[in-house]
Amino acid sequence: MASVDLVDVRKAYGEHEVIHGVSIGISDGQFVALVGPSGCGKSTLLRMIAGLEPITSGEVRIDSKVVNDLEPKDRDIAMVFQNYALYPHKNVADNMGFALQMRRVPKRQIAERVKRAAEILDLVPYLNRYPRQLSGGQRQRVAMGRAIVRDPKVFLFDEPLSNLDAKLRVQMRAEIKELHQRLKTTTVYVTHDQVEAMTMADKIVVLHDGVVEQIGSPLELYDRPANLFVAGFIGSPAMNMIQGIIRPGATPTFEAEDGTRLPLSSAPSNSDGRKAIYGFRPEHLTIGGPVRTEITVIEPTGSETQVVARLAGQKIVGVFRERISARPGEVLTVGPNLSSVHLFDAASGQRLQ
Amino acid sequence: MATQARTLGASHYPTRIIIYGLLILWAFICLFPIYWTFSTSFKNAVNVTQGHLIPWMDFVPDWKGWRSVGLSPDTIGQTSTAREEFLKRFENSVIASLSASALAVIIGSSAAYGLSRFSYRFGPMRNKDISFFFLAQLILPPVVLAMPFLVLYKELALLDTRIGLILLYTLMVLPIVIWIMRDQFDTIPLELEQAALVDGCSVWSAFLRIVLPIALPGMVAAFILSVILCWNEYFFAALLTSTNAKTLPVMVASQTGSQGINWWSMAALSAAAITPLIVIGIFLERYIVKGLTAGSVK
Ligand SMILES: Nc1ncnc2c1ncn2[C@@H]1O[C@H](COP(=O)(O)OP(=O)(O)OP(=O)(O)O)[C@@H](O)[C@H]1O
Ligand SMILES: [Mg+2]
Repeated sequence: MASVDLVDVRKAYGEHEVIHGVSIGISDGQFVALVGPSGCGKSTLLRMIAGLEPITSGEVRIDSKVVNDLEPKDRDIAMVFQNYALYPHKNVADNMGFALQMRRVPKRQIAERVKRAAEILDLVPYLNRYPRQLSGGQRQRVAMGRAIVRDPKVFLFDEPLSNLDAKLRVQMRAEIKELHQRLKTTTVYVTHDQVEAMTMADKIVVLHDGVVEQIGSPLELYDRPANLFVAGFIGSPAMNMIQGIIRPGATPTFEAEDGTRLPLSSAPSNSDGRKAIYGFRPEHLTIGGPVRTEITVIEPTGSETQVVARLAGQKIVGVFRERISARPGEVLTVGPNLSSVHLFDAASGQRLQ
Repeated sequence: MATQARTLGASHYPTRIIIYGLLILWAFICLFPIYWTFSTSFKNAVNVTQGHLIPWMDFVPDWKGWRSVGLSPDTIGQTSTAREEFLKRFENSVIASLSASALAVIIGSSAAYGLSRFSYRFGPMRNKDISFFFLAQLILPPVVLAMPFLVLYKELALLDTRIGLILLYTLMVLPIVIWIMRDQFDTIPLELEQAALVDGCSVWSAFLRIVLPIALPGMVAAFILSVILCWNEYFFAALLTSTNAKTLPVMVASQTGSQGINWWSMAALSAAAITPLIVIGIFLERYIVKGLTAGSVK
């Protein structure tokens, strides 16, 4: 168990910088999810924590100790690689036991711990197989097993569930979370799936093009995204965003590009005529309001109804608890939940309110 | 289903006959020289010159060839200078081939691992150029190197020594070993070693415990190929060795005496010389194929 701190960490490949000064503090026992689109530098960051990638500048600290120059084997971390990296010449049991073997754990104890991990991961029937005799999902579970047989200071997971089918993924998600609650080992979990991040993590770090966009608890990110990128990345279906201009006054409104007026509870100061983005989440719409939309698609799922509609010439999505009898082509009047409206500056993308 | 398969098979019957016919013909062409060598070692002069081929029908086999090198059943128990000579040459060949190949595989694998895993810069040359530079050594005809080596070995007192031969053969097969092994290491994902590092290995133990076992089939293949190449080498052996370190190919070639060629003893020697290669071919061929077909790791 340990804290992990990144202080202004940078990484350049030759001239080309891919991580531009990232600072993240992870306290002891925390489960942190690192999310971001493909190529944003998640794996690179994780590999720098592991010591597999030299750090161009900045500091990585584990347990308040700078580990920049420490070998991976001396950092006491366990890592699950994005492409499994199972040893092809060792069977499942030996793959899982290898780290223990390297740490000179007695044979009997290794066998015991491997068996326990195999039980958790449903791998008992495969212990004598070789990696090439396993399916993708089974390989991924072996990779998980290789990490969890150990009792390291930090777990590093690089998209460990990306190759599992939906059902197994949900099941493994619960397993990992339960495992974390039991072991309380500090965990850094890389994923590009924001649902995974939201459901599992204590804290989410949103990474974009090598820059941290926002750090916060899942609900903080959901309720108060710091900028357009986070707003669009977190939440599914994604937040609706309408471009336009802020019109303060006695009743502040937001004027979309085609003149449609959207309600605001208040306008930020000094914002008259400012170009901005008006954002609201699909579930923060109520039926019957000042805004007219034209329905294009209705998707009832039973528990809720998802409506795709056009508002101010743009496609928006609404999710409603009530059942809607309207048909595509008809007009639906809606109102955004005023306290849940987000305003972002159009130029910088930063949150205004 | 069954009838369909049968009709399908029947319609392919003529093609099959042609394919098998061609294969048999090709096998015959390939195997005939070996057959000729072995059968000639049991012929006498008349049978050789008249081109008799089938034992017991064309000619009566006898041990003449093998007797001349002291390896026939009646001479095997007696002392024979010819046999001693043969065994000495055989030993030279074995030691030179095996040692040179072992050295080449050790040195070559290390070089190949470096080329596959680290980026080097040697003047304007990068990894790719360095690899090609090694391979380019093979383009040079050995004759060009004859004089320099003769002078060099004379100075170093390596003429007619096994050590000299071993060093030279190592040099000769090194490019091929490097090329094969670099291919092998390139197919091993970097993440495997990194996983080993995280699992508690040092760079060296990751290499020894993870990389080496995976690359082993390739190493075996490279070793066998090297042995074959060294075993067959004639030019430098003839040039740089005489009484002490002479190898089998040189001895075989020297059977052309002033009174014409002793076909029978030459055939017996050749047969003895190619037998190890045939054994390798039959028993180890699958390892060569397995080692050289990359993608053994997935
Ligand atoms: N060895 C390298 N040399 C040069 N650039 C590299 C190297 N490795 C990674 N990069 C670049 O660094 C950036 C970050 O890569 P990284 O693998 O960390 O992305 P990622 O966030 O893990 O993406 P994914 O979700 O697809 O796995 C990418 O733009 C990639 O092109
Ligand atoms: Mg990645």
